[in-house]
Amino acid sequence: MKKRNPLLTTIFWIFISLLTLFPIYWLFVISVKPAVQLFSTPDLIVDNPYWGNYTEVLGNRLLRSYMINSLVISTGNAVLCTVLGFFTCYALSRFQFRGKESIFFWTITNRMAPPAVFLLPLFLLMTQVYRIGDFTLLDTRIGMILVYCTFNLPFAIWTLRPTIDAIPRELDEAAYVDGASPWKVITEIVVPLCRPGLAVTLILTWVFAWNEYLLAATLTNFEARTLTTGLSEYVTTTGTEWGIMATISVFTLIPALIVFGLVQKHIVAGLTFGAVKG
Amino acid sequence: MQSNKLGWILLAPTLVILFFFGVLPFLYVVFVSFHQWNPFAASPEMIFNGAENFRRIVFDDAFLNSLGVTAAFVVFAVFSELIIGYLLAQAFMKEFPGKSLFRTIHTLPLIMAPIIVGSVWKLMTTPSIGIIPHYLDEWFGITMNIGTSAPVAFMTIVIMDIWHWTPLVTLTLIAALVSLPRDPFEQAQIDGANKAQTFWHITLPMITPAVVATVFIRLMDAMRTVDEVWMLTGGGPGSSTRFLGVHIFKEVFPKTNYGYGSTISVIVLYLTIVVCWLLYVSMLAPRKNRKG
Amino acid sequence: MNFVLKVGVSALAMAVASSAAYADDSFWKEAAKPYQDVTLRGVTESTPPSNYIREVLAPEFEELTGIRVDIETTSWDQMYDKAIKDMEAGTGIYDMIYIEQDIVYSYLSRDFLTDTTKLLADNPSLKAPTYSENNFTTFANYFRGENDHLYGIPMEAFIKIYLYRTDLFNDPDIKAAFKDQTGRDLVPATTHAEYAEIAQFFTTWGKDHDMDLWGTTAQAHTGHPASWYEFFESIAPTFGIYNWGIDANNNYAASVANGGAMNSAEAKEAMKWWLSMRDIAPPESNASTWTEVGTTFGAGRAAQGLVYGENAGWIAADETKSLVVGNVGVALPPLQDGILDEVEGGTGYIGYYDGGAFGIPATSKSQEAAMLFLQYIGQDQVQPDWAVAAPRVTNKTTYDDPKVQAMNDELGGYYDLLRDKGYLFAGAPAYPFHAQVREATAPILYEILTGDLGPEEGLDQMAAKAESELTDLGYRK
Repeated sequence: MKKRNPLLTTIFWIFISLLTLFPIYWLFVISVKPAVQLFSTPDLIVDNPYWGNYTEVLGNRLLRSYMINSLVISTGNAVLCTVLGFFTCYALSRFQFRGKESIFFWTITNRMAPPAVFLLPLFLLMTQVYRIGDFTLLDTRIGMILVYCTFNLPFAIWTLRPTIDAIPRELDEAAYVDGASPWKVITEIVVPLCRPGLAVTLILTWVFAWNEYLLAATLTNFEARTLTTGLSEYVTTTGTEWGIMATISVFTLIPALIVFGLVQKHIVAGLTFGAVKG
Repeated sequence: MQSNKLGWILLAPTLVILFFFGVLPFLYVVFVSFHQWNPFAASPEMIFNGAENFRRIVFDDAFLNSLGVTAAFVVFAVFSELIIGYLLAQAFMKEFPGKSLFRTIHTLPLIMAPIIVGSVWKLMTTPSIGIIPHYLDEWFGITMNIGTSAPVAFMTIVIMDIWHWTPLVTLTLIAALVSLPRDPFEQAQIDGANKAQTFWHITLPMITPAVVATVFIRLMDAMRTVDEVWMLTGGGPGSSTRFLGVHIFKEVFPKTNYGYGSTISVIVLYLTIVVCWLLYVSMLAPRKNRKG
Repeated sequence: MNFVLKVGVSALAMAVASSAAYADDSFWKEAAKPYQDVTLRGVTESTPPSNYIREVLAPEFEELTGIRVDIETTSWDQMYDKAIKDMEAGTGIYDMIYIEQDIVYSYLSRDFLTDTTKLLADNPSLKAPTYSENNFTTFANYFRGENDHLYGIPMEAFIKIYLYRTDLFNDPDIKAAFKDQTGRDLVPATTHAEYAEIAQFFTTWGKDHDMDLWGTTAQAHTGHPASWYEFFESIAPTFGIYNWGIDANNNYAASVANGGAMNSAEAKEAMKWWLSMRDIAPPESNASTWTEVGTTFGAGRAAQGLVYGENAGWIAADETKSLVVGNVGVALPPLQDGILDEVEGGTGYIGYYDGGAFGIPATSKSQEAAMLFLQYIGQDQVQPDWAVAAPRVTNKTTYDDPKVQAMNDELGGYYDLLRDKGYLFAGAPAYPFHAQVREATAPILYEILTGDLGPEEGLDQMAAKAESELTDLGYRK
């Protein structure tokens, strides 16, 4: 193969990276501009950053509680979906059922539902059906963790299936022959082999849950409100507080960045969606 | 082989959760879709009207228009993401200085919430004061007005979607390319195959499952996009970006037209399932069956 | 002055809370005794007046009475949806909801709201000595039911007014040039023709002087109902088309053929005039909701325009957000000849009287405690500080407060206009199908705005669509 000029390659990647980074940079620019400057001629460079939006966001107790809710809900949901997705894929991969592929496909269809109209039945179910005495699932973190399963569990199953299919059956069968319990087989043989797949499932489900807006906006009120719903409080009829919104957005990016950074090296190894390897 | 009982135990939690939060709401929506129900109509209660809503939807211009623009959006966005994602994935297969840094940068859009993406792009494209129209005008004398030009608004949304979701495609395709065996390529080189031939006959067939899986995920998500478009154009100008997700939202939120809105949702869900099922059956299932 | 419109104004909250030792503390403490373990929950749109309730009035009330108040503030669309879902399903999540003036008739038609007049009459021990329905301005009448009882306690009220830039209108060069060109003095317009002339003049002036300046604003978003509202609430009435051109006494007719006026000659003239103004407004107008119109004006990009009163406050006085502080004048919107006489005579209105109230859902489980809170925020005493923090006036005595008077001067006389001319404005028509007909017809309006439909043809289609939607909904027989 021809050797490419390394300088050209680097220039190419810098160009692509600038395109990728620009909207994120612009988000930051908006967050360090006072409102009065937002609707004047845009400048590419900020020469005199204004940190008022940051002090205001940091000082807001509600936003702090939204941040905690977001962390709890997305982490809880990501862990739940990854674990259940793993169980499901293991079952689908290692056991024979009638209609196995139909079950698999059916789980995926749950992600296809247009969300707006499902809010009403979810609201009704969560307030009136799924209740114990006065406790209802509406406006609770556990309720949101379960609701987010409707789109994240299918994704987890979809991502993990090829990974688990790719692990040779002979490995667990040999262990069973040696008298290992299913639990032991799963935790000591299968899980270590699909660690990258689990990592990437965890991170992507986490990101989807962290970023969800519409369901959280309708199904939470006071106790379980998330950061994305907090954003919508700044879109009002008396002016959208773009600066504050951008600042909150910057804050939503930070945890996502950290989580993403942690598993960066696993991502590629884990995303073997239906690759031929299996 | 262990008993199927264990298999069912492992499946159970997933099935239970999806039953209570997926199937039951779905059945409710199906039930409502056979009713006329708007809480602010002259008769606010639910009135059974048989298949009337389904009959009406076939002749509903607004719905058909929305279906059309959604289809166009899905095709444009998903195809572009696939092509750009593939090219970038191929580029990432080579070694070059700073590769992992560039790859990290390339994945960043993925972690942004759709509602934030919509807000930033709205600010960047506000006619005359957003940075993009401003510099297009200043440097090239091009007027870009997302509020008046349907193609501009449509393309802005497509570009926004490409920016946001190509990283996912790139990542999955890198994963697929990394796992390809070397031998067929070496053989092809020996046989003197050119680049195009290698791509069509060796690379493409082997990465097809990954491509289909990616298209599948993107297709599902693009069909139900709401947040970004809601923030950026609100469905305008006119109805040119009133995608199905937005259309349903407007039908059931401000218009509180729960009955008819449910009908649209059932149809949209049905269409999505059919399209995905066709994809799935034609591309993936046979492969799995052969192996199994 | 730098207004404190924002959330998290804890310093202000403390200051007000400590000064709130009113003489009648004993009433509140006594009346609140049975409700000590109640937590009141309210939902409202996240606006400065609502944020003031959450940050200042609610904590103050809690300290005084021991009743905890949680206020959820959310976006405009979400606020409706959450209240409606709660009341429709009878869940009883909320004890108080924000009632936008335009949705009150929908709620009343469904008996969603508690009759506060009756609630107080039935429970005399709940009635606060400092609360009286007579304290409110006429805006409260929009929240009365057919029995003339009050179903919501007004919490914000504004009018959509004509704002103009006093610095430009008083600039000697500009005045001379205008006189030169048109032969008349540059003063705020009273008719559409004058307004158009001024608008044209400033747009040209901006172009000639390489300034980012246009002669008018337009709330002409091509995908958001804000444009629908600007036309039907602010433009059409000034041409004599009231209540959206729908005749409620004539089987809800909208088209001229059936006795309505939505596609009448006047409506078409209004549409053409509005479009001609939109064409010389800043380019962002096609993507502007009420928010961006305010921002455009605040950024100094328009010489005059119709702006919601909610925004007049920060545009005129908040220098952290506005570049035109101290340079804003207010006036009545420009009208066709004869409209003012017609409205003075009791027919129609010249613009939108906007605002909202707090009501108690019929499904609330703590109606009595909620009533205490609503009386608390309805008192004359709490109004002036609230009006300063978030410019809105709902009680008659608020106008006379020195703090509000001082602000009135900063706002170019906006409060005077609200007090003296408020009667010329009106809230949304008493339709229970407000959002339904709006959403049904709005897509056609968007097409008129993009130019895909001509104004005449478009209005014909809108009238037909309104009628068919009303037939579907069962209002039109």
